[in-house]
Amino acid sequence: MSTATPPETTARDDSAVPESSGMASRSPARLVKLVGSRLLFAVVALFAVVTLSFLLVSLTPGDPVQVIAGDLATEEQLDALRTELGLDQSLWARYVDYIGALLSGDLGTSYYTSTSVAGEIADRLPATLTLTVLSMALAVIIGIAVGAAAGYFRSRWQDRILNSGVGFFQSIPDFFLGLVLIYAGFFLLGWAPAPVGQLDIIQLPPPSVTGFITIDAIIAGQWSVAASSLGHLVLPVLTLALVYAASFARIARSSIGSALNSQQVQYARALGLRERTVLRYALVEARSSVLTYGGIVFVTLFGGVAIVETVFAWEGLGQWALDGILGMDIPVVQGFVLVAGAITLTVYTLVDIAVAWLDPRISHG
Amino acid sequence: MADTFTVGGAKKPRWSVVREHPSAAVSALFILVLLVAGTVLPMPYDPRMPDPFATLVPPSAEHWFGTDSSGSDVFSRVIAAAQVDLGLALGGTAVSLLVGVPLGLLVSSKGAWGERSVRALDAFQAFPLLILALALVSLSGNRMSMVIVAIALINVPRYMRLMRSEILALRESRFIEAAYATGSSRLRVMWRHLLPNSLGVILVQTSLTIANAIVIIAAMSFVGVGATPPTPSWGSMIRAGAENMAFGQWWVAVFPGLFVFLCVLCFNRIADALGDITSVRRN
Repeated sequence: MSTATPPETTARDDSAVPESSGMASRSPARLVKLVGSRLLFAVVALFAVVTLSFLLVSLTPGDPVQVIAGDLATEEQLDALRTELGLDQSLWARYVDYIGALLSGDLGTSYYTSTSVAGEIADRLPATLTLTVLSMALAVIIGIAVGAAAGYFRSRWQDRILNSGVGFFQSIPDFFLGLVLIYAGFFLLGWAPAPVGQLDIIQLPPPSVTGFITIDAIIAGQWSVAASSLGHLVLPVLTLALVYAASFARIARSSIGSALNSQQVQYARALGLRERTVLRYALVEARSSVLTYGGIVFVTLFGGVAIVETVFAWEGLGQWALDGILGMDIPVVQGFVLVAGAITLTVYTLVDIAVAWLDPRISHG
Repeated sequence: MADTFTVGGAKKPRWSVVREHPSAAVSALFILVLLVAGTVLPMPYDPRMPDPFATLVPPSAEHWFGTDSSGSDVFSRVIAAAQVDLGLALGGTAVSLLVGVPLGLLVSSKGAWGERSVRALDAFQAFPLLILALALVSLSGNRMSMVIVAIALINVPRYMRLMRSEILALRESRFIEAAYATGSSRLRVMWRHLLPNSLGVILVQTSLTIANAIVIIAAMSFVGVGATPPTPSWGSMIRAGAENMAFGQWWVAVFPGLFVFLCVLCFNRIADALGDITSVRRN
């Protein structure tokens, strides 16, 4: 059994030093193989996700036709609607139809609005991506800074203060924090714009070029619209960033803290290396777990943005999916699962490849 | 040196644990009180009884946390909701733990099979889990049992991933190598070395899972899925109060939100203490 391979003690210790590239396991061939297998996996997994979500929403007991038609609909109306939506066909026929359409880029139409799901996604994805990417960026900056500081000053007063701040924001549900920030920023202090949508109600969105309102406004030279869209971003981004920075800081603190306690760092300290160098070693050792966690945080953020979007009436992808769930709008739910699954798999694939490149100790099989 | 795990060696009397982690002890006490308060203590008002003559009363000596727009006493509802929310969170976590840890051990075996199961797990993680949980509960017609299933669905993969990463790291340790070298079977290594050494991680994760489950359950009822009125739940109370925030009637949403926050804070504190205790013993 290959379990008991002699631990590569030298390789392990060297890995704290970024310049060491002499290891066979970081060879290009290994990476190419890894990338290939990961991409193949991502495609297979996306197919599995789509199939599972189809089965899930098709096999749950609720009857979407009844919900859409309402309680007053007659039996004939229900049957007509069922035929119109194709729900009178067998599960297998529907699945084949769905996958066939999917392969030609057709994600179906919403039961309620009769708009194309793909079109809705294209319209709404930029709003959600703006929110998630900005929140993530802010969360990473705050999280790593706070986490590294807390890990460095572990168990001292600086750590205690930072840690209670982290504990505070980690314990507060994001949607509740959003409400509190609305109360404070809009009603009490009055510096935040009305927390409804991405622009003021009287403002028209700029001509769509990229779909990202802020960027489009800048392209069109509509500076007041750009400023307004940035203003509307402040509260939701702050809400998400504070909550996710806290969970990020926690992992950064623990992995940097334990890296600072590791044997190689103790050894480096014993050698009398400068504190900056020692800290750099610790950061290098902590980076793969921080990176892995960063991927998880981003994916959670994307999946969890829906409720914060609802709080701020953001009209993004998440809020749209949430409305779809409550109204049993199955194509909408499936469309969201597909997009979120694709984004998740992309992020995980990139993280896996990056971690494997950064940390040759980890073998994937 | 840091690899040895002394279970019985440095055992201290129990009260010192409480003394060294006062906030965790207070947290545990708070949760216990919340769990029993709804049944044991007399509530000032019936949590499900609206009072059309006392709607949106600010916090006062009569209504400690004020009343909501239907005139129900917010304090009574917050306390009554504790049993609903905490019960669902604990139930969901118990199922996650009992399913996740054995499955996690199973997929930590080296070789193609373990690798394949972890790939399947990754594929499952590609689901937007919160949306999946919401869809499951909503499509089943708001069944409470589905809330627990949804919590388990979200957390079982987390336990499995955690166990696998912990055990993959542990397996590279000298003492595991030594155990194999002295002829221990794989089962014995798993039971005597790998599981006890991941115990701290499991305990911490369980406390965090409860905290996370409380948030998910609150988020669910916030959007109108799971525990919905007239059943008192923190999430639905926050939802009801969200509209009142606009008119300055903050107490309707803030008190249930505060209790979600406090419970999550408590379980996070307990997780911190558990982490400290177990890693101290590890050295």
